[in-house]
Amino acid sequence: MAASRVSSYSLESQRVSLARGSSALISPEGVREDGRSPHECRPAFLQTGAVNAAAGSAYAEFGQTKVIVSVFGPRESKKAQAYSDIGRLNCNVSFATFAGSVRGKAGQSTEEKEYSQMLYKGLEGAVALHTFPKTTVDVFALILQSGGGDLPVVLSCASLALADAGIVMYDLVSAISLSRLDTNLLLDATLGEEINQDGSLMLACMASRNEVTQLLLTGEWSQANLSEGLKLCLDACTKLAGLMRSTLKESTSNIED
Amino acid sequence: MALEFISPEGLRLDGRRPAEIRQLRANLGVIDKADGSATFEMGNTKVIAAVYGPHEVQNRSQQLLDQALVKCEYSMANFSTGDRRRKQKGDRRSVEISLVIRQSMEAAIMTHLLPRTQIDIFVHVLQADGGTRSACINAASLALADAGIPMRDIVASCASGYLNNTPLLDLNYLEDSGGGPDVTIALLPKLDKITLLQMDAKLPLEMFEKVFELGNKGCVAIANYMRNVLLENTKDLAFARGVVKV
Amino acid sequence: MVVGLSAAERRYLTDGIAQGLRNDGRGLYDFRAFSVELAIIPQANGSARVRLGATDVITSVKAELGRPQASRPSQGRVEINIECSSTAAPQFEGRGGEDLSLELSRALYRSLLCNNGTGPAIDLSALTVIEGKLCWNLFIDGLVLSSDGNLLDVLAIAVKAALSNTGIPKVEVTSAAAAEQEADFEISDNPDDFSGFDVSHVPVIITLTKVGRTYIVDATEEEESQMSSAISIAVNSAGHVCGITKRGGAGLDPSVLLDMISVAKEVSKSLLSTVDAEIMAAESRGDDQM
Repeated sequence: MAASRVSSYSLESQRVSLARGSSALISPEGVREDGRSPHECRPAFLQTGAVNAAAGSAYAEFGQTKVIVSVFGPRESKKAQAYSDIGRLNCNVSFATFAGSVRGKAGQSTEEKEYSQMLYKGLEGAVALHTFPKTTVDVFALILQSGGGDLPVVLSCASLALADAGIVMYDLVSAISLSRLDTNLLLDATLGEEINQDGSLMLACMASRNEVTQLLLTGEWSQANLSEGLKLCLDACTKLAGLMRSTLKESTSNIED
Repeated sequence: MALEFISPEGLRLDGRRPAEIRQLRANLGVIDKADGSATFEMGNTKVIAAVYGPHEVQNRSQQLLDQALVKCEYSMANFSTGDRRRKQKGDRRSVEISLVIRQSMEAAIMTHLLPRTQIDIFVHVLQADGGTRSACINAASLALADAGIPMRDIVASCASGYLNNTPLLDLNYLEDSGGGPDVTIALLPKLDKITLLQMDAKLPLEMFEKVFELGNKGCVAIANYMRNVLLENTKDLAFARGVVKV
Repeated sequence: MVVGLSAAERRYLTDGIAQGLRNDGRGLYDFRAFSVELAIIPQANGSARVRLGATDVITSVKAELGRPQASRPSQGRVEINIECSSTAAPQFEGRGGEDLSLELSRALYRSLLCNNGTGPAIDLSALTVIEGKLCWNLFIDGLVLSSDGNLLDVLAIAVKAALSNTGIPKVEVTSAAAAEQEADFEISDNPDDFSGFDVSHVPVIITLTKVGRTYIVDATEEEESQMSSAISIAVNSAGHVCGITKRGGAGLDPSVLLDMISVAKEVSKSLLSTVDAEIMAAESRGDDQM
């Protein structure tokens, strides 16, 4: 892994900011805790080829959220599984025990299971499964640090890792989440903002095909808010997709060198 | 004795006489998608059973060449007991009961007529108030009959016990947890054969015979009821198809 | 779920839907008729059974007194657990139903309570008895007995019905306890002395299943087997969207997505009034029996 920049493992105590009013999280001038404007994403860092042993891998860092995804395969499907003329995608998301402020427990939690399902559903529509019949591709995601918007970061990172592994996809999947506090729509929310949100929106899409692969919405939304939120997320996804694309290009040009 | 299970008038806690069964109720064809299904109620105990099959064996390695493979799964709904407990499927108790139900049903099903097939029996306890084992066997038996699976005889099951020096028929939860012996019997009434006999705690031999005899009678009564339910159901079906006119 | 359809049957089904015709004669946005039964589990605080076609679910609500979470001292907690009984399909045997159970539980939870438990559907602060010390926790258990598609929508109806049937016993605080003391309280023995539950904000869920280029409401299992993608949209009585979960399959064009949302809103109006009417009817039936 080429260290292109100094890693930022700062020990910010982000989780102190429990249950506060929205006024504490966003100033009257519209500046958020970390100095961002409401519709600004966190600084993102993406890199492919983080794990040597894997067929493909990627590392993603969005603010305090750090995720590593490795892809193995395609390999022969397990004998017990019935014949399938399309490939299988086996997704597994896990939190590192040190990912949160409380030490995680061993064994798969329901949250991990749910994230695994979501990851599968977000990628399923993007991967050309018919190109590897009878075989399985494993996608293992590890959340190293949970700092808000974990699932979208995992999704984007996983599609990057799949691309790195040379799995045929229709398009890269980029994902972003948005939190609603009162009437404020905060793009790419941090953990502190997520805890205090009263509505959330997570969108994963294939930007160049203009297709939504995963959408998750909670809380009560009016039509105007909803349309605005969707538009914000779509725009952010398009931007993120550009960044992912350039990351991939960079990594291939490194190989050529 | 902490609790008197029988009043001086000879009545039990829920007002029954010692040799009385709780109110029975059964319905057939309650699950449209299943090949056969039934609910069975004994007082406040209520179970639902579904039968799928005979169909192709899912796991080829388990296929039997000379007879049908019978599978059974027992589970309890979260809301089935008074205090809510989150139960995982496949704990020791449910594995044991699954086995018990499977074995007693297998004895009745003419498995040799359906080689290389699989029959799935699923029972789910909706309300538990003692005697779930028996209710499950009865429900499974009705569901199998509803699915049209060939059987030697219907299986009827009933529990009996011994409390306050009296043999009691069809224990409810309170009596079941009274600490006395609990004898569960499953009977093939026409053949007069026992397919299941379970007992915990200890009981003098001569007393056991009485308790056993009582349980046996309970099974016969339940079998009669089940036969009636099946007959009524068949009549309804025949009427619905216009085979008979009432 | 494995639905054995021949190529011809598949074609018949998908081509029919493309022309606005469904196998059971319904229109694209029509729900099947459903029936509601209330108070069917005597040991629960509230329960309901909803049958829609061959889909059959039971939900129960149990209220237990407990300590509120430290981070939310003035709120009760709600847990939702759905179980897919193996009686509904042999595939649910053993751990087979777990994935679907989890998906349904989480989708319901998100629609009712947002993902951090502050949702608009259930007023959690109404569950508090003594702030920071005592609150009611609601356990919502669902059981799928028989499945013929559209489980999530039916479960949402059943949860709404069970909550409307839920009575929470009155709690009398007997000693005005100091901040650090344990509070003494008495639960009222009188079975008539309970408070009901306001379910007017509980949304209904409408799952739009896309088959080919068309999307349909209340898909049967056969129709679900032919879906390219599906999206579940929760809508409350105010006409506001309370939750969206996309349930797998291929990608969707954002404009189609917005279309689907507006269709769901339209459908929700009539569905909500039917649900309310069915619950009312079930209540009056229950009163007659008493």
